Amino acid sequence: MTDLQRAWRGGRNDWRLHALSVFSVAVAFVCLASAALVVVNIDGLRARWAQAGRASVFLAAGVDAGRAAEIEQALRATPGVADVRFVSSEEARRDLVGMGDDVLAQLPAEAFPASLEVKVNDDAEGHTLAGIATQLSSLPAVESVETYGVWTDRLAALLAGGVTASALLAIIVFGAVISVVASTIRLALQRRSREVEVLKLVGASDGYVRRPFVIEGAAQGASGAVVAIALLAVFYAIVRSHFQGELATLIGMAPMFLPWSVIAVMVGMGGGLGALAAFTSLRKLLVV
Amino acid sequence: MQPGQRTDAFRPVLRGEGNRFDPTARAKPILVFENVHKAYRADAPVLRGMNLEIERGEFVFFTGPSGAGKSTLLRILYAAELVDEGRILFMGRDIGRLTSTSIPFLRRNIGIVFQDFKLVPNWSVLENVAVPLEVLGLPQRLIRSRVGEVLERVGLAGRGPDLAGTLSGGEQQRVAVARAIVGEPALVLADEPTGNLDPQLAVDILGLFEDINDTGVTVIFATHDRSLLDIRPRRVVVLDEGKAHDVPHGLDEVAEADEDSGDQPGVAVRDVA
Ligand SMILES: Nc1ncnc2c1ncn2[C@@H]1O[C@H](COP(=O)(O)OP(=O)(O)O)[C@@H](O)[C@H]1O
Ligand SMILES: [Mg+2]
Repeated sequence: MTDLQRAWRGGRNDWRLHALSVFSVAVAFVCLASAALVVVNIDGLRARWAQAGRASVFLAAGVDAGRAAEIEQALRATPGVADVRFVSSEEARRDLVGMGDDVLAQLPAEAFPASLEVKVNDDAEGHTLAGIATQLSSLPAVESVETYGVWTDRLAALLAGGVTASALLAIIVFGAVISVVASTIRLALQRRSREVEVLKLVGASDGYVRRPFVIEGAAQGASGAVVAIALLAVFYAIVRSHFQGELATLIGMAPMFLPWSVIAVMVGMGGGLGALAAFTSLRKLLVV
Repeated sequence: MQPGQRTDAFRPVLRGEGNRFDPTARAKPILVFENVHKAYRADAPVLRGMNLEIERGEFVFFTGPSGAGKSTLLRILYAAELVDEGRILFMGRDIGRLTSTSIPFLRRNIGIVFQDFKLVPNWSVLENVAVPLEVLGLPQRLIRSRVGEVLERVGLAGRGPDLAGTLSGGEQQRVAVARAIVGEPALVLADEPTGNLDPQLAVDILGLFEDINDTGVTVIFATHDRSLLDIRPRRVVVLDEGKAHDVPHGLDEVAEADEDSGDQPGVAVRDVA
């Protein structure tokens, strides 16, 4: 009988105990997986904003179409600039009011300055955009330049915060997983004390006695992580199907689920922690 | 072995094909107790300078009142307890000097039967009996055939698939005996194996151990049940005041030995059946 078969035999007899343990581990992992989901999406957003080098050049009030076209021509000739689009005051008003906000419709025309929407090449460096921005700001026809760099910075800060929070959460979750699996294995060992006693009496080595329990601990940790990720995936699918449009508008991109690499790491961590918990709790208790 | 040297593996001498490792072992006693002392508490020593030799293939009763130290002695033999002083040579090796990693190898040479059977109740009879062979990692086919043979020997042929917990006391003890001998150990220890059984079943189980002994296995049978000692003349060792005394047979000698303080261990007549 292999160690796996022995682990299966033991686990099958105590399946309620194991199910409870897997559920508890899953609850802990749901927290961590949710945090990871948020971080992954903030990171996606940040990457998109950082890459999409663009700027809005707001023109001063009263600048005529001819002057605007001149600036547009000059911008097109600037190296690194991919595209320039003129958005008139009326268009700007229509874009916003079109979103259905009546309050915006009441605002005067000055509230919607005409602008030139500049797009920089993807491979252009950050200072290309910054350089263009400073040059443009000095022109009397230009009211202000918005490069959105501050948003990228804010997202990066948010991301760093999210990563730190997730790391702290991970420590708590790992602690919870270890204590849940350790106490389950301790209980399983108690319930199978006769079996363990017999094994030791007929000359089983400590390793032989321990291995099925370690396998059971690893299985609990890994299945807990799998259950957590499955639950989160179901929740994610429901949210997505109900709020697809709104979500995309809100965060400016299609949300994404955890990548396979993150899932694999989580399941691996679950298994590893479970095995570690089982091993250490047995080391203290298994002395004959 | 040199003094101070510790064995890492208990090499099974005289198992299976016999004297592969130590040609002289066959002629030596299988067990030698030399001045063995053991106390759980300093003020209440259990063994106080016990000496005893047991030959290969002997059947020996260990008897004495409850608390005399019979169980302690057996526990020392399978290295669940350490002696405080003295040594115990099992097939020439000092049990007290075994490292924790070599204790399993010692136990694979000893079959043990307890008063409370120590079966796993939610395992089948087959699984219970197979454990010592599973631990050795033998192939499943060999395990099945060996377990089948042993179950037949203890009169439980066909009961293999039953759950051990559903068997009667006498049957459970037979399963325990089967488990003790399935690995073909050189020594079988029985600690009050009939203690939980009614008298007729007790005699049956004793007969089972005698059958095992007939195949050349050394058997130590610890019991405080004097009625079992008289069934057939056998070597009887009485544990008393922390020492072991041989008595020829039966109750009368035990009573006399208790009174006669000049009793010399080893001079008593041994079973020559
Ligand atoms: N684990 C232990 N701790 C302390 N004292 C013990 C322990 N085991 C046995 N004893 C004591 O050692 C003495 C011998 O016990 P035991 O070997 O079980 O005797 P027997 O089997 O002959 O009845 C008894 O007085 C008992 O109380
Ligand atoms: Mg006893």
